[in-house]
Amino acid sequence: MREPIFGRFDPPRSSDHLLGPVQRLKTPMRHYRESEEVDVCIVGVGSAGGVLLQRLSRAGLRVVGIESGPFWDVERDWVSDEAGSHKLYWNDLRITAGANPITLGENNSGHGVGGGSVHWAAFAPRFHPSDFHIYELDGVGVDWPFRYDVIRPYYEMLEREMPVAGPARFPWGYPHSYPYGPHPSAGVGDVLIKGCTKLGIPVVAGGPVAILSGSYGDRQHCIYRGFCIQGCKVGAKQSTLYSHVPDAVACGAEIRDRSMAARVNLRPDGLVSGVTYFDAAGNERHQRCKLVVISGYAIETPRLLLNSASPGHEKGLANSSDTVGRYLMVQAGNVILGRFPQLIRLYKGPPAHALTEEFYETDPRRDFARGFAVQTVGPLPIAFAKQMMVAKGAWGWGLRKVMMDYNHWATLGLLGELLPWADNRVTIAEERDGHGLPVAKVTYGLKENDKKLIEFGKRKVMEIMSAAGAEEVVQEARYAHLIGGARMGDDPDTSVVDRFGCSHDIPNLFCCDGSILPTQGSANPGLTIQSLAARTANYIIAQSDRLSQGLRGLPEEPPIRHDLSPPGTYQRGIPRIPWPARQS
Amino acid sequence: MTSQNPAADHLLPVDPQSGSPLDPRRQPGYYPGFSTLDQRAFWDAATRQTVMDRVEQVPAIRFFDGGEAATMQAICNRILPQDDRDPERRIPVLNYLDNRLYSGMSDGYRYEDMPADGDAFRLGIQAIDEISVHLHAKRFTELEMAQQEEVLETIHDAHPPAGGNIWKRMPVDRFWLLLVQDIAAAYYAHPWSWDEIGFGGPAYPRGYVRLENGKAEPWEKDEQRYEWEPPPGARSGGYRPVGGGRPHHAPPGQSGTH
Repeated sequence: MREPIFGRFDPPRSSDHLLGPVQRLKTPMRHYRESEEVDVCIVGVGSAGGVLLQRLSRAGLRVVGIESGPFWDVERDWVSDEAGSHKLYWNDLRITAGANPITLGENNSGHGVGGGSVHWAAFAPRFHPSDFHIYELDGVGVDWPFRYDVIRPYYEMLEREMPVAGPARFPWGYPHSYPYGPHPSAGVGDVLIKGCTKLGIPVVAGGPVAILSGSYGDRQHCIYRGFCIQGCKVGAKQSTLYSHVPDAVACGAEIRDRSMAARVNLRPDGLVSGVTYFDAAGNERHQRCKLVVISGYAIETPRLLLNSASPGHEKGLANSSDTVGRYLMVQAGNVILGRFPQLIRLYKGPPAHALTEEFYETDPRRDFARGFAVQTVGPLPIAFAKQMMVAKGAWGWGLRKVMMDYNHWATLGLLGELLPWADNRVTIAEERDGHGLPVAKVTYGLKENDKKLIEFGKRKVMEIMSAAGAEEVVQEARYAHLIGGARMGDDPDTSVVDRFGCSHDIPNLFCCDGSILPTQGSANPGLTIQSLAARTANYIIAQSDRLSQGLRGLPEEPPIRHDLSPPGTYQRGIPRIPWPARQS
Repeated sequence: MTSQNPAADHLLPVDPQSGSPLDPRRQPGYYPGFSTLDQRAFWDAATRQTVMDRVEQVPAIRFFDGGEAATMQAICNRILPQDDRDPERRIPVLNYLDNRLYSGMSDGYRYEDMPADGDAFRLGIQAIDEISVHLHAKRFTELEMAQQEEVLETIHDAHPPAGGNIWKRMPVDRFWLLLVQDIAAAYYAHPWSWDEIGFGGPAYPRGYVRLENGKAEPWEKDEQRYEWEPPPGARSGGYRPVGGGRPHHAPPGQSGTH
């Protein structure tokens, strides 16, 4: 067997906590006593929780993050192997039901510090300006309590903090350019470009993805190995574990990993007093705090609110409107597979590397509202076999045979906007988890607009695949991402939290993650989730005097705080084209 | 075509030109000589450990009892046939499946209308035997290859002629997906299957540099195709929609890709 020139790649023998091959976590981490009332307790250190933890601790607040999964030492814990990455996903029991039950686990649910940002493919497009008022424009869904201009500075900030690599000119939505250069194209991206170009559809390649196209501080550039959704050992793909958590820990935040939140507790005056959780050894513990932020994502956030029901809050915390758990959304995520006479080798390059948003907006010529994006995807062999099981009905010799052609197939993903409906929801099931906590039941069904959109979108992607030269095109139905379940709005009767993420019912209880998004557009939600987290953090910091006294924060947009970005990220990576619109 | 002899005396794929069986190979597929395991010195230590454990520490059967294991092995042999592999190079998919069920490793959800995964497999084995008896008056393990495929095909088509009591407790289309995806996941987790399909395998810290046009890295192999067809009489070689094409049986995908 051949050996590498400089020897095998073994992690150093030191006990350093390694985040990628170079980055090290500053240890020991600060530790707060449970009897100590900290300023903020964050439940869930994932996409949103990681950013919140970093902002709040950098601003000098005393912050504890309670995370159900492990604090990954990635060089030792993660593997470049599909089956071996099972531990990155939420594998505890959930019940899935409804007319179109959604698959959970690896499909959309993270576990461990970094959460969903550990296993996302890292497509980081912005929402379009239209996404913030689709009821006004199209008469469907609901309007956000604010417009695009409020989130835009946070998009620009997070695109540098992650950072995002992408094309110099991104033409859709609010046109913009990316601070870091695009990635080289790989086989599947070539297929998307070819198919779109043939049909006259504009397309971009090389991003926008939160993957490093060049080395960045103590993080290495992408090596194009294709294992993005198995957790990036390289350190190139952004997760908050790499981009925000190290700064949080350096600023004195504490993360208690393998700790499962059981309920949010109330004081006699009706304010939140802290969080009860089970630690790694299974002992029940209580952390006192002045303010709680729940960042458990679209299923665990509603579950914790519902499981925290108490006298005066019989339907669950923050649920006087009976909206907790409702308006749960997934995006249409059909995978379209095309077989080509030539080799593609779809496993090379980041699965996420080219897309078109040409069909994103409502088109009056179509018989449904809203639209979709078309993106590259890159299933590794197990995922591909499962897709062939559905898309071709393959099994037995047929499965063996089509799998032998793995390198001849290219895969594109539909990413379509499905609308929020009250009866698509998270409730509490009868089953209990290992801690005795009732598990979540997820009920989902498609409505008419959703079905029409999927049908049209699927056919359009199949058309693109054929135009690229595929000799056979098949598809499987699938759903991607989770959004909603604790939505924000100005009206306390129809939403759970206000425009800043503060619950309408309890002034020192916040939710901040994908669950608060009222609608989801046809963009992958990761960038928006992290951008909203930075904004909610700014709000908590700006209103900390009032909030710490148990008063509701004032309804004022917080100032932009570039000084709270992780060091060295602000104003690094300057977009190359000055857009006229940027001066507005 | 090669269907003149439906009662073939072998289970081997055939050469479509001559109709003669292709001898079992150490490594079927179009990348002869490609070995991901030969590259393991270039993998990181944690990945090397995980993959080598999978190859070298095959878990014992602990979840299924003797009878169940025998039937399940026969089912695995048809869902993921390996007759074209040298006997010592067959991937022990049943052991990996059994280990998942024994260790209670869950995928993070259960359909409301499904029992727990382990119970689903036990019920499924029972139903498969009931269908076998109904169609051919024999247990599944005693059937010929084509008869076994016929039994499984009724589940694939969501139209089983027997086992009604079991299908009341467990929708047949959901069981089919559970069965096939678990067996396929066990097979395509093994490095020998990566060699077969030309997948590069673990690639950290080295990565890839030839991204476009399906080009091979210096340590990968170019494709060398040969034609083959499933054994004569095999029913699983064609492709039909799961659920027999009835729209309400069209299943959603099971795996995350974006």
